[in-house]
Amino acid sequence: MNPAVPTWAGVAASLALVAAAVAIAWRQRLHLAREITIAAARAGAQLAAVGAILLLVFQHAGLAGAAGWLAIMVLIAGQVAGRRARGLPRALPVATAAVAAATAATMGTLLVLGVISTQVRVVIPVGGMIVSGAMAATAVTLTRLREEAAAARPAIEARLCLGLPADRAFAPHMHAALRTALIPAIDSTKTVGLISLPGAMTGLILAGVSPLTAIRYQIVVMYMLLAAAALAALTAARLAAHALFDDAHRLRPLPAPAGKDHR
Amino acid sequence: MKGWQDRITSGEPVLFSLELVTVRRGGTLLLDQVTCQIPAGTCTALTGPSGSGKTTLLRLLNRLDDPDAGRVCLYGRPLPDRDVLALRRQVALVAQAPVLLTGQVLDELRAGQPGLGEQDAAGLLEQVSLPATMLARGTAGLSGGEAQRLCLARALAAGPQVLLLDEPTSALDSVSAHAVEQTAKSFIAAGGSVVLISHDTGQTRRIASQVLALRDGHITTRKEPP
Repeated sequence: MNPAVPTWAGVAASLALVAAAVAIAWRQRLHLAREITIAAARAGAQLAAVGAILLLVFQHAGLAGAAGWLAIMVLIAGQVAGRRARGLPRALPVATAAVAAATAATMGTLLVLGVISTQVRVVIPVGGMIVSGAMAATAVTLTRLREEAAAARPAIEARLCLGLPADRAFAPHMHAALRTALIPAIDSTKTVGLISLPGAMTGLILAGVSPLTAIRYQIVVMYMLLAAAALAALTAARLAAHALFDDAHRLRPLPAPAGKDHR
Repeated sequence: MKGWQDRITSGEPVLFSLELVTVRRGGTLLLDQVTCQIPAGTCTALTGPSGSGKTTLLRLLNRLDDPDAGRVCLYGRPLPDRDVLALRRQVALVAQAPVLLTGQVLDELRAGQPGLGEQDAAGLLEQVSLPATMLARGTAGLSGGEAQRLCLARALAAGPQVLLLDEPTSALDSVSAHAVEQTAKSFIAAGGSVVLISHDTGQTRRIASQVLALRDGHITTRKEPP
Protein backbone atom coordinates (compact mmCIF):
# COMPACT_ATOMS: atom_id res chain seq x y z
CA MET A 1 0.00 0.00 0.00
CA ASN A 2 1.33 3.41 -0.92
CA PRO A 3 -0.55 5.93 1.18
CA ALA A 4 -1.25 9.32 -0.32
CA VAL A 5 0.98 11.40 1.95
CA PRO A 6 2.70 14.67 1.06
CA THR A 7 6.23 14.59 -0.37
CA TRP A 8 9.03 16.58 1.34
CA ALA A 9 8.48 19.23 -1.33
CA GLY A 10 4.85 19.32 -0.28
CA VAL A 11 5.87 19.76 3.37
CA ALA A 12 8.12 22.65 2.36
CA ALA A 13 5.26 24.20 0.40
CA SER A 14 3.00 24.00 3.45
CA LEU A 15 5.35 26.50 5.07
CA ALA A 16 3.30 29.01 3.06
CA LEU A 17 0.54 28.42 5.63
CA VAL A 18 2.91 29.32 8.47
CA ALA A 19 3.92 32.41 6.52
CA ALA A 20 0.23 33.35 6.26
CA ALA A 21 -0.22 33.03 10.01
CA VAL A 22 2.92 35.08 10.64
CA ALA A 23 1.74 37.73 8.18
CA ILE A 24 -1.63 38.03 9.94
CA ALA A 25 0.08 38.32 13.33
CA TRP A 26 2.48 40.94 12.00
CA ARG A 27 -0.18 43.02 10.22
CA GLN A 28 -2.44 43.00 13.25
CA ARG A 29 0.49 43.85 15.57
CA LEU A 30 -0.27 40.89 17.79
CA HIS A 31 3.39 40.51 18.78
CA LEU A 32 3.01 36.84 18.07
CA ALA A 33 4.98 36.54 14.82
CA ARG A 34 8.11 35.42 16.59
CA GLU A 35 6.26 32.93 18.75
CA ILE A 36 4.41 31.44 15.77
CA THR A 37 7.71 31.02 13.88
CA ILE A 38 9.33 29.34 16.86
CA ALA A 39 6.29 27.07 17.43
CA ALA A 40 6.28 26.00 13.77
CA ALA A 41 10.04 25.35 13.82
CA ARG A 42 9.73 23.37 17.05
CA ALA A 43 6.89 21.26 15.68
CA GLY A 44 8.93 20.45 12.56
CA ALA A 45 12.09 19.62 14.49
CA GLN A 46 10.32 17.56 17.19
CA LEU A 47 8.36 15.50 14.69
CA ALA A 48 11.44 14.95 12.50
CA ALA A 49 13.36 13.74 15.54
CA VAL A 50 10.51 11.47 16.69
CA GLY A 51 10.12 10.12 13.16
CA ALA A 52 13.83 9.27 12.97
CA ILE A 53 13.82 7.63 16.41
CA LEU A 54 10.63 5.67 15.64
CA LEU A 55 12.21 4.44 12.39
CA LEU A 56 15.23 3.21 14.35
CA VAL A 57 13.06 1.60 17.01
CA PHE A 58 10.74 -0.05 14.48
CA GLN A 59 13.69 -1.52 12.59
CA HIS A 60 15.99 -2.54 15.43
CA ALA A 61 14.39 -2.47 18.87
CA GLY A 62 11.97 -5.37 19.00
CA LEU A 63 9.28 -5.75 21.64
CA ALA A 64 11.71 -5.08 24.51
CA GLY A 65 12.64 -1.76 22.93
CA ALA A 66 8.96 -0.92 22.58
CA ALA A 67 8.42 -1.68 26.25
CA GLY A 68 11.36 0.58 27.12
CA TRP A 69 9.90 3.34 24.96
CA LEU A 70 6.53 2.97 26.73
CA ALA A 71 8.25 3.07 30.12
CA ILE A 72 9.88 6.39 29.23
CA MET A 73 6.51 7.77 28.10
CA VAL A 74 4.97 6.63 31.41
CA LEU A 75 7.71 8.41 33.38
CA ILE A 76 7.24 11.64 31.46
CA ALA A 77 3.44 11.43 31.77
CA GLY A 78 3.79 10.81 35.51
CA GLN A 79 5.92 13.95 35.84
CA VAL A 80 3.42 16.05 33.89
CA ALA A 81 0.35 14.80 35.77
CA GLY A 82 2.14 14.91 39.13
CA ARG A 83 3.23 18.50 38.63
CA ARG A 84 -0.39 19.52 38.02
CA ALA A 85 -1.19 18.27 41.49
CA ARG A 86 1.63 20.08 43.25
CA GLY A 87 0.94 20.40 46.96
CA LEU A 88 -0.57 16.95 47.14
CA PRO A 89 1.66 14.67 49.22
CA ARG A 90 3.75 12.27 47.08
CA ALA A 91 2.15 13.61 43.89
CA LEU A 92 4.89 12.45 41.50
CA PRO A 93 5.13 8.80 42.56
CA VAL A 94 1.34 8.58 42.87
CA ALA A 95 0.82 9.97 39.35
CA THR A 96 3.52 7.78 37.84
CA ALA A 97 2.13 4.66 39.49
CA ALA A 98 -1.38 5.48 38.27
CA VAL A 99 -0.29 5.99 34.65
CA ALA A 100 1.90 2.87 34.79
CA ALA A 101 -0.85 0.67 36.25
CA ALA A 102 -3.44 1.88 33.73
CA THR A 103 -1.04 1.44 30.80
CA ALA A 104 0.12 -2.02 31.87
CA ALA A 105 -3.42 -3.30 32.46
CA THR A 106 -4.93 -1.84 29.28
CA MET A 107 -2.02 -2.74 27.02
CA GLY A 108 -1.70 -6.17 28.60
CA THR A 109 -5.39 -6.90 27.97
CA LEU A 110 -5.17 -5.81 24.31
CA LEU A 111 -2.08 -7.95 23.73
CA VAL A 112 -3.23 -11.04 25.67
CA LEU A 113 -6.63 -11.08 23.93
CA GLY A 114 -4.87 -10.64 20.60
CA VAL A 115 -6.86 -7.47 19.83
CA ILE A 116 -3.77 -5.68 18.54
CA SER A 117 -0.64 -7.12 17.02
CA THR A 118 2.61 -7.32 18.97
CA GLN A 119 4.51 -5.50 16.20
CA VAL A 120 6.56 -2.58 17.48
CA ARG A 121 4.91 -0.28 14.95
CA VAL A 122 1.55 -1.07 16.58
CA VAL A 123 2.54 -1.27 20.25
CA ILE A 124 4.24 2.14 20.40
CA PRO A 125 1.51 4.37 18.92
CA VAL A 126 -1.31 2.50 20.66
CA GLY A 127 0.67 2.65 23.91
CA GLY A 128 1.17 6.38 23.38
CA MET A 129 -2.59 6.91 23.12
CA ILE A 130 -3.15 4.90 26.29
CA VAL A 131 -0.44 6.77 28.22
CA SER A 132 -1.79 10.16 27.21
CA GLY A 133 -5.38 9.20 28.09
CA ALA A 134 -4.20 7.87 31.45
CA MET A 135 -2.15 11.02 32.01
CA ALA A 136 -5.12 13.31 31.41
CA ALA A 137 -7.38 11.34 33.74
CA THR A 138 -4.66 11.20 36.41
CA ALA A 139 -4.03 14.94 36.25
CA VAL A 140 -7.73 15.78 36.62
CA THR A 141 -8.22 13.25 39.42
CA LEU A 142 -5.28 14.48 41.45
CA THR A 143 -6.10 18.16 40.94
CA ARG A 144 -9.72 17.62 41.95
CA LEU A 145 -8.70 15.50 44.96
CA ARG A 146 -6.37 18.20 46.19
CA GLU A 147 -9.06 20.86 45.81
CA GLU A 148 -11.71 18.67 47.44
CA ALA A 149 -9.45 17.82 50.38
CA ALA A 150 -8.46 21.45 50.98
CA ALA A 151 -11.97 22.89 50.57
CA ALA A 152 -13.75 20.13 52.48
CA ARG A 153 -11.35 20.00 55.43
CA PRO A 154 -14.10 20.95 57.97
CA ALA A 155 -16.38 18.15 56.76
CA ILE A 156 -13.54 15.62 56.60
CA GLU A 157 -12.40 16.53 60.10
CA ALA A 158 -15.99 16.39 61.35
CA ARG A 159 -16.14 12.77 60.15
CA LEU A 160 -12.74 11.99 61.68
CA CYS A 161 -13.97 13.48 64.96
CA LEU A 162 -16.79 10.92 64.94
CA GLY A 163 -14.14 8.20 64.99
CA LEU A 164 -14.42 7.30 61.31
CA PRO A 165 -11.23 6.01 59.69
CA ALA A 166 -9.56 8.18 57.04
CA ASP A 167 -10.84 6.21 54.04
CA ARG A 168 -14.47 6.49 55.16
CA ALA A 169 -14.07 10.15 56.12
CA PHE A 170 -12.75 10.90 52.64
CA ALA A 171 -14.94 8.54 50.56
CA PRO A 172 -17.61 11.08 49.48
CA HIS A 173 -14.90 13.50 48.31
CA MET A 174 -12.98 10.78 46.49
CA HIS A 175 -16.13 9.77 44.61
CA ALA A 176 -16.78 13.38 43.60
CA ALA A 177 -13.23 13.73 42.26
CA LEU A 178 -13.46 10.44 40.36
CA ARG A 179 -16.74 11.42 38.72
CA THR A 180 -15.26 14.71 37.54
CA ALA A 181 -12.15 12.98 36.23
CA LEU A 182 -14.08 10.46 34.17
CA ILE A 183 -16.57 12.83 32.57
CA PRO A 184 -14.24 13.89 29.68
CA ALA A 185 -13.48 10.27 28.73
CA ILE A 186 -17.17 9.33 28.90
CA ASP A 187 -18.27 12.38 26.91
CA SER A 188 -15.71 11.87 24.18
CA THR A 189 -16.76 8.21 23.97
CA LYS A 190 -20.40 9.30 23.62
CA THR A 191 -19.82 11.87 20.92
CA VAL A 192 -17.11 10.16 18.90
CA GLY A 193 -17.82 10.43 15.19
CA LEU A 194 -20.56 13.01 15.77
CA ILE A 195 -18.47 15.96 16.89
CA SER A 196 -14.96 14.87 16.08
CA LEU A 197 -13.37 12.39 13.72
CA PRO A 198 -10.76 10.92 15.98
CA GLY A 199 -7.06 10.81 15.17
CA ALA A 200 -6.54 7.10 14.63
CA MET A 201 -9.48 6.86 12.24
CA THR A 202 -8.51 10.04 10.39
CA GLY A 203 -4.97 8.69 10.00
CA LEU A 204 -6.13 5.36 8.62
CA ILE A 205 -8.53 7.01 6.17
CA LEU A 206 -5.78 9.39 5.01
CA ALA A 207 -3.51 6.40 4.57
CA GLY A 208 -6.06 4.86 2.18
CA VAL A 209 -7.84 2.38 4.44
CA SER A 210 -11.57 1.89 3.94
CA PRO A 211 -13.68 3.80 6.48
CA LEU A 212 -15.41 0.57 7.53
CA THR A 213 -12.01 -0.90 8.42
CA ALA A 214 -10.86 2.34 10.04
CA ILE A 215 -13.81 2.38 12.45
CA ARG A 216 -12.90 -1.07 13.76
CA TYR A 217 -9.60 0.36 14.96
CA GLN A 218 -11.32 3.43 16.32
CA ILE A 219 -13.85 1.43 18.32
CA VAL A 220 -11.02 -0.48 19.99
CA VAL A 221 -9.22 2.81 20.63
CA MET A 222 -12.27 4.37 22.29
CA TYR A 223 -12.83 1.35 24.54
CA MET A 224 -9.19 1.20 25.53
CA LEU A 225 -9.10 4.93 26.31
CA LEU A 226 -12.18 4.56 28.49
CA ALA A 227 -10.53 1.71 30.40
CA ALA A 228 -7.21 3.55 30.68
CA ALA A 229 -8.92 6.68 32.06
CA ALA A 230 -10.99 4.69 34.56
CA LEU A 231 -8.04 2.62 35.75
CA ALA A 232 -5.71 5.60 36.00
CA ALA A 233 -8.28 7.71 37.85
CA LEU A 234 -9.11 4.93 40.30
CA THR A 235 -5.46 4.09 41.00
CA ALA A 236 -4.53 7.76 41.38
CA ALA A 237 -7.48 8.40 43.70
CA ARG A 238 -6.75 5.38 45.89
CA LEU A 239 -3.05 6.17 46.23
CA ALA A 240 -3.57 9.91 46.70
CA ALA A 241 -6.32 9.40 49.30
CA HIS A 242 -3.88 7.24 51.21
CA ALA A 243 -1.13 9.87 50.93
CA LEU A 244 -3.46 12.66 52.11
CA PHE A 245 -3.79 11.16 55.58
CA ASP A 246 -1.21 10.15 58.16
CA ASP A 247 -1.14 7.06 60.36
CA ALA A 248 -3.24 8.78 63.04
CA HIS A 249 -6.10 9.29 60.53
CA ARG A 250 -5.41 12.99 60.14
CA LEU A 251 -5.69 15.05 56.99
CA ARG A 252 -2.21 16.37 56.24
CA PRO A 253 -1.70 20.13 55.82
CA LEU A 254 -2.40 21.27 52.24
CA PRO A 255 -1.81 24.52 50.40
CA ALA A 256 -4.86 26.78 50.36
CA PRO A 257 -7.33 26.02 47.55
CA ALA A 258 -6.34 29.10 45.55
CA GLY A 259 -6.11 27.39 42.15
CA LYS A 260 -2.52 28.51 41.64
CA ASP A 261 -1.24 25.59 39.69
CA HIS A 262 0.36 27.44 36.87
CA ARG A 263 4.04 28.08 37.03
CA MET B 1 5.47 26.96 85.67
CA LYS B 2 5.39 23.85 87.82
CA GLY B 3 3.36 25.89 90.27
CA TRP B 4 0.00 25.01 88.96
CA GLN B 5 0.36 21.34 88.85
CA ASP B 6 0.81 21.51 92.60
CA ARG B 7 -2.14 23.82 92.97
CA ILE B 8 -4.62 21.58 91.16
CA THR B 9 -7.58 22.13 93.40
CA SER B 10 -10.36 19.64 93.66
CA GLY B 11 -9.95 16.00 94.47
CA GLU B 12 -11.04 15.05 90.94
CA PRO B 13 -8.80 12.57 89.13
CA VAL B 14 -6.71 14.05 86.32
CA LEU B 15 -8.31 13.56 82.91
CA PHE B 16 -5.77 15.17 80.58
CA SER B 17 -2.27 16.19 81.50
CA LEU B 18 -0.12 18.26 79.16
CA GLU B 19 3.60 18.24 79.75
CA LEU B 20 5.77 20.93 78.12
CA VAL B 21 3.58 20.84 75.01
CA THR B 22 4.84 22.88 72.08
CA VAL B 23 3.04 23.31 68.75
CA ARG B 24 4.59 25.12 65.79
CA ARG B 25 2.97 25.79 62.42
CA GLY B 26 5.29 27.19 59.83
CA GLY B 27 7.35 29.74 61.73
CA THR B 28 4.65 30.46 64.30
CA LEU B 29 4.73 29.15 67.84
CA LEU B 30 1.10 28.33 68.68
CA LEU B 31 1.69 26.67 72.04
CA ASP B 32 4.94 27.23 73.96
CA GLN B 33 5.86 24.56 76.52
CA VAL B 34 2.38 24.38 78.00
CA THR B 35 2.05 22.28 81.14
CA CYS B 36 -1.36 21.86 82.72
CA GLN B 37 -3.89 19.39 83.98
CA ILE B 38 -7.55 19.07 83.19
CA PRO B 39 -9.62 17.31 85.87
CA ALA B 40 -12.21 14.63 85.14
CA GLY B 41 -15.89 15.00 85.91
CA THR B 42 -16.01 18.78 85.58
CA CYS B 43 -16.04 21.50 82.96
CA THR B 44 -12.76 23.27 82.22
CA ALA B 45 -13.02 26.49 80.24
CA LEU B 46 -10.24 27.74 77.96
CA THR B 47 -10.32 31.49 77.51
CA GLY B 48 -8.10 34.06 75.85
CA PRO B 49 -7.91 36.35 72.83
CA SER B 50 -8.15 34.83 69.36
CA GLY B 51 -4.82 33.41 68.23
CA SER B 52 -3.83 32.57 71.78
CA GLY B 53 -3.80 28.81 71.12
CA LYS B 54 -7.17 27.67 72.50
CA THR B 55 -8.32 25.74 69.45
CA THR B 56 -4.82 24.35 68.94
CA LEU B 57 -4.89 22.98 72.49
CA LEU B 58 -8.36 21.51 72.03
CA ARG B 59 -7.34 19.73 68.80
CA LEU B 60 -4.48 18.03 70.64
CA LEU B 61 -6.93 16.33 72.98
CA ASN B 62 -8.49 14.05 70.34
CA ARG B 63 -5.31 13.92 68.21
CA LEU B 64 -6.64 16.01 65.37
CA ASP B 65 -3.16 17.49 65.83
CA ASP B 66 -0.04 16.23 67.59
CA PRO B 67 2.40 18.41 69.53
CA ASP B 68 5.85 19.05 68.04
CA ALA B 69 7.33 18.54 71.50
CA GLY B 70 6.02 17.45 74.87
CA ARG B 71 3.21 15.01 75.48
CA VAL B 72 -0.49 14.79 76.17
CA CYS B 73 -1.82 12.03 78.42
CA LEU B 74 -5.36 10.81 79.01
CA TYR B 75 -5.71 9.17 82.44
CA GLY B 76 -1.91 9.11 82.61
CA ARG B 77 -1.45 7.25 79.33
CA PRO B 78 0.11 9.12 76.39
CA LEU B 79 -2.43 9.64 73.59
CA PRO B 80 -0.25 8.05 70.85
CA ASP B 81 -0.32 4.78 72.85
CA ARG B 82 -4.10 4.62 72.42
CA ASP B 83 -6.08 3.53 69.36
CA VAL B 84 -6.84 6.86 67.74
CA LEU B 85 -10.27 5.90 66.36
CA ALA B 86 -11.39 4.65 69.78
CA LEU B 87 -9.95 7.81 71.35
CA ARG B 88 -12.06 10.02 69.06
CA ARG B 89 -15.22 8.13 70.04
CA GLN B 90 -14.28 8.54 73.68
CA VAL B 91 -13.27 12.21 73.33
CA ALA B 92 -15.78 13.92 71.03
CA LEU B 93 -15.03 17.30 69.51
CA VAL B 94 -17.70 19.75 68.34
CA ALA B 95 -16.31 22.48 66.08
CA GLN B 96 -17.20 26.14 66.30
CA ALA B 97 -19.10 26.26 63.00
CA PRO B 98 -21.62 23.45 62.54
CA VAL B 99 -20.72 21.16 59.63
CA LEU B 100 -23.57 18.93 58.52
CA LEU B 101 -22.59 15.86 56.53
CA THR B 102 -25.86 14.46 55.22
CA GLY B 103 -29.25 15.58 53.95
CA GLN B 104 -31.42 14.12 56.73
CA VAL B 105 -31.43 14.64 60.49
CA LEU B 106 -31.60 10.90 61.19
CA ASP B 107 -28.72 10.19 58.77
CA GLU B 108 -26.74 12.95 60.41
CA LEU B 109 -27.02 11.25 63.80
CA ARG B 110 -26.01 7.98 62.15
CA ALA B 111 -22.95 9.49 60.42
CA GLY B 112 -20.59 7.97 62.97
CA GLN B 113 -22.97 5.27 64.24
CA PRO B 114 -24.61 3.58 61.24
CA GLY B 115 -26.53 1.15 63.46
CA LEU B 116 -28.20 3.84 65.61
CA GLY B 117 -31.87 3.03 66.16
CA GLU B 118 -34.62 5.61 65.69
CA GLN B 119 -35.52 5.60 69.35
CA ASP B 120 -31.92 6.27 70.40
CA ALA B 121 -31.73 8.98 67.77
CA ALA B 122 -34.85 10.62 69.21
CA GLY B 123 -33.25 10.42 72.66
CA LEU B 124 -30.17 12.23 71.38
CA LEU B 125 -32.33 15.03 69.96
CA GLU B 126 -34.04 15.30 73.32
CA GLN B 127 -30.64 15.70 75.04
CA VAL B 128 -30.02 18.84 73.00
CA SER B 129 -33.64 20.09 73.39
CA LEU B 130 -34.67 19.41 69.81
CA PRO B 131 -38.05 17.75 69.10
CA ALA B 132 -38.02 14.07 68.12
CA THR B 133 -40.29 14.96 65.19
CA MET B 134 -37.26 16.56 63.58
CA LEU B 135 -35.78 13.12 62.76
CA ALA B 136 -37.54 12.92 59.42
CA ARG B 137 -36.61 16.45 58.42
CA GLY B 138 -33.96 17.49 55.94
CA THR B 139 -30.88 19.24 57.30
CA ALA B 140 -30.97 22.00 54.68
CA GLY B 141 -33.66 24.05 56.40
CA LEU B 142 -32.16 24.02 59.90
CA SER B 143 -31.24 27.28 61.59
CA GLY B 144 -27.67 27.82 62.76
CA GLY B 145 -28.67 27.04 66.34
CA GLU B 146 -30.50 23.85 65.35
CA ALA B 147 -27.56 22.76 63.20
CA GLN B 148 -25.11 23.31 66.05
CA ARG B 149 -27.30 21.37 68.45
CA LEU B 150 -27.61 18.57 65.88
CA CYS B 151 -23.79 18.46 65.64
CA LEU B 152 -23.67 18.16 69.43
CA ALA B 153 -26.22 15.33 69.36
CA ARG B 154 -24.22 13.63 66.57
CA ALA B 155 -21.11 13.81 68.76
CA LEU B 156 -23.04 12.29 71.68
CA ALA B 157 -24.18 9.34 69.55
CA ALA B 158 -20.94 7.43 70.12
CA GLY B 159 -21.40 7.69 73.89
CA PRO B 160 -18.24 9.73 74.60
CA GLN B 161 -16.79 10.29 78.08
CA VAL B 162 -15.36 13.71 77.20
CA LEU B 163 -16.85 16.56 75.18
CA LEU B 164 -14.56 19.15 73.61
CA LEU B 165 -16.60 22.23 72.67
CA ASP B 166 -15.00 24.96 70.57
CA GLU B 167 -17.02 28.14 71.20
CA PRO B 168 -20.22 26.14 70.78
CA THR B 169 -22.57 29.05 71.36
CA SER B 170 -20.68 32.00 69.89
CA ALA B 171 -23.02 32.32 66.90
CA LEU B 172 -26.22 31.04 68.49
CA ASP B 173 -29.51 32.59 69.57
CA SER B 174 -30.11 32.59 73.33
CA VAL B 175 -32.53 29.61 73.22
CA SER B 176 -29.98 27.42 71.45
CA ALA B 177 -27.12 28.69 73.63
CA HIS B 178 -29.11 27.81 76.74
CA ALA B 179 -29.88 24.35 75.33
CA VAL B 180 -26.18 23.69 74.63
CA GLU B 181 -25.25 24.77 78.16
CA GLN B 182 -27.93 22.49 79.63
CA THR B 183 -26.60 19.58 77.57
CA ALA B 184 -23.09 20.23 78.84
CA LYS B 185 -24.33 20.40 82.43
CA SER B 186 -26.30 17.14 82.23
CA PHE B 187 -23.33 15.51 80.50
CA ILE B 188 -21.16 16.38 83.49
CA ALA B 189 -23.88 15.36 85.96
CA ALA B 190 -23.92 11.94 84.25
CA GLY B 191 -20.20 11.55 84.92
CA GLY B 192 -18.73 13.08 81.76
CA SER B 193 -16.09 15.78 81.44
CA VAL B 194 -16.21 18.90 79.29
CA VAL B 195 -13.46 21.14 77.90
CA LEU B 196 -15.01 24.33 76.63
CA ILE B 197 -13.58 27.25 74.70
CA SER B 198 -15.63 30.32 75.50
CA HIS B 199 -15.45 34.08 75.31
CA ASP B 200 -18.56 34.43 77.39
CA THR B 201 -17.66 35.01 81.05
CA GLY B 202 -21.27 34.50 82.07
CA GLN B 203 -21.21 31.10 80.42
CA THR B 204 -17.93 30.03 82.05
CA ARG B 205 -19.31 31.14 85.41
CA ARG B 206 -22.43 29.05 84.86
CA ILE B 207 -20.79 25.78 83.84
CA ALA B 208 -17.02 25.75 84.34
CA SER B 209 -15.28 24.83 87.56
CA GLN B 210 -11.82 25.74 86.28
CA VAL B 211 -10.71 28.43 83.84
CA LEU B 212 -7.42 28.27 81.96
CA ALA B 213 -6.56 31.60 80.36
CA LEU B 214 -4.23 31.47 77.36
CA ARG B 215 -2.22 34.26 75.79
CA ASP B 216 0.36 33.94 73.02
CA GLY B 217 0.67 30.19 73.46
CA HIS B 218 1.12 30.30 77.24
CA ILE B 219 -1.30 29.60 80.05
CA THR B 220 -1.30 32.83 82.04
CA THR B 221 -3.75 32.03 84.81
CA ARG B 222 -5.66 29.14 86.19
CA LYS B 223 -8.50 29.95 88.48
CA GLU B 224 -11.98 29.19 89.64
CA PRO B 225 -14.53 31.05 87.55
CA PRO B 226 -15.25 34.56 88.90
